[in-house]
Amino acid sequence: MHMKYVVSEFGSGLRRNLSMTLAVIVTIWISLSLAGIGLLMQSQVSLFERYLGSQLEVKIVFCAKNSLTAKCVGGQATPEQEASVAETLAESPYVSRYRFETRAEAFRGYQVRSDSDSDQSLAGILDLKAADMSTAYWATLAHPDDNTELVKEVEDAAGVEQIVDLRERLAPLYEVLNLLKWLALGAAGLLVLAAILQVSNTIRLAAMARRKEIGIMRLVGASSLYIQLPFLLEILFAAVVGAALACGGVVLAMNTLVPWLHRHTASWPWIGWSEARPVLLQISVIAVLLAVIPTLLMTRKYLKV
Amino acid sequence: MIRFDNVSLTYDGQHRPALDSVSVEVEKGEFVFLVGASGSGKSTFLRLVLREVRPTSGRIYVAGKEIDRLASWKVPGLRRSIGTVFQDFRLLPNKTVTQNVAFALQVIGKPKSAIQKLVPEALEMVGLQGKGDRMPSELSGGEQQRVAIARAFVNRPILLIADEPTGNLDPTSSVGIMKLLDRVNRTGTTVIMGTHDSGVVDQMRKRVIELHAGAVVRDQARGVYGYQS
Repeated sequence: MHMKYVVSEFGSGLRRNLSMTLAVIVTIWISLSLAGIGLLMQSQVSLFERYLGSQLEVKIVFCAKNSLTAKCVGGQATPEQEASVAETLAESPYVSRYRFETRAEAFRGYQVRSDSDSDQSLAGILDLKAADMSTAYWATLAHPDDNTELVKEVEDAAGVEQIVDLRERLAPLYEVLNLLKWLALGAAGLLVLAAILQVSNTIRLAAMARRKEIGIMRLVGASSLYIQLPFLLEILFAAVVGAALACGGVVLAMNTLVPWLHRHTASWPWIGWSEARPVLLQISVIAVLLAVIPTLLMTRKYLKV
Repeated sequence: MIRFDNVSLTYDGQHRPALDSVSVEVEKGEFVFLVGASGSGKSTFLRLVLREVRPTSGRIYVAGKEIDRLASWKVPGLRRSIGTVFQDFRLLPNKTVTQNVAFALQVIGKPKSAIQKLVPEALEMVGLQGKGDRMPSELSGGEQQRVAIARAFVNRPILLIADEPTGNLDPTSSVGIMKLLDRVNRTGTTVIMGTHDSGVVDQMRKRVIELHAGAVVRDQARGVYGYQS
């Protein structure tokens, strides 16, 4: 195969379709940048979930003396019932560690919360004592996503009044983060679609511009690969440049934005290179697929031998 | 060389067949004129030989191969053994005469040494030696058609298909092109030429296959353009 011809056709194709090639580069760059942002946000959300999940505990509250719920018609939970739950927690694969909260501890916690409460009238009216408080187990999960599994294991145990999952308190935060992630991925998806259409259009225009050569090539028996190769190289070039710019953006963000976040919110976990490296690889793979698949489909259609 | 067995072709969206149960055999080394009015099926016949289209029914054999069943990846191989010449020359305007002829060899991967040998030979054969550096726009219509014939012949095809090669030429140039095609034929290459040009057909007195509404209505050795018993 005359690679000299293929390379010269590739070069002249680039010059002839310069504006279209630039448009493809920009579209691929922006769409892959958004895809990269979406993927990094996905990693960041997972990181937050893991971090917060490991910090948050599930509280298993036992029936107190004056509990009014239907589950507590038997009155205050007995030490045997508490021991039974402790046994379940000890055997549960979902629990990494747990601790018992006595009535006195619960009362101290209540007092602290009441003191910081601006409306203290309730505490005064109820006139609660340590004996009125509930005992409880605080369980830390082995995996943050196993909270519902743990709840299932202990919610029906005798003497348990309610389960308080602190993760639920943070649900709105997760929802916002998830929404942002899907927005970025959705926008990236639309732009990827635009890039596919643009690649297809570029091939169509390039095939139109070279229809005379292609017609002759077909007639004299040039192989499909030989006819398609300059087109494929042209789009691949645009995809590689677009992907390089998008990867450059990710690298820039990792070198500037993430260190800034670390400085300003040091206690929070932020993504690092271990999360960014797979994203760079994914972006590059998407770029190649984005170029090769529509090009092969369109060249089959327009350059069929 | 070519055999059509009961070949029919109806194009998509058409009711009337472009070719209707055509059975024809062309021997190796023959010179055949394909004549008939516009729309009679001449170009469809030639396109079928080139495997640009497939028949709706029937079998087509070219050089012993059943080409209607040929895998797509084998089509380029078939076309390398067929040269084609068209009414509109189909030269690349931004390439010189030499580059136009060499293009046919470059794109099928012929080595540079072979190209350097074959291209001047082909140009000499068509009488264009010394004009290799000219651009197509600097040549007359007859000369441009000679370049097209050189390009079709440069790979020494076993079959040359010419679709109205004199359609755009004045009578003098047409005579020159016909002499050239006759010369190509005398090298052993089978020539099939679709034409409306009664003058060249009557003058050459070669085999004439006449098509009408997609069907063969006449197949005459040493024939003329219009029917003559």
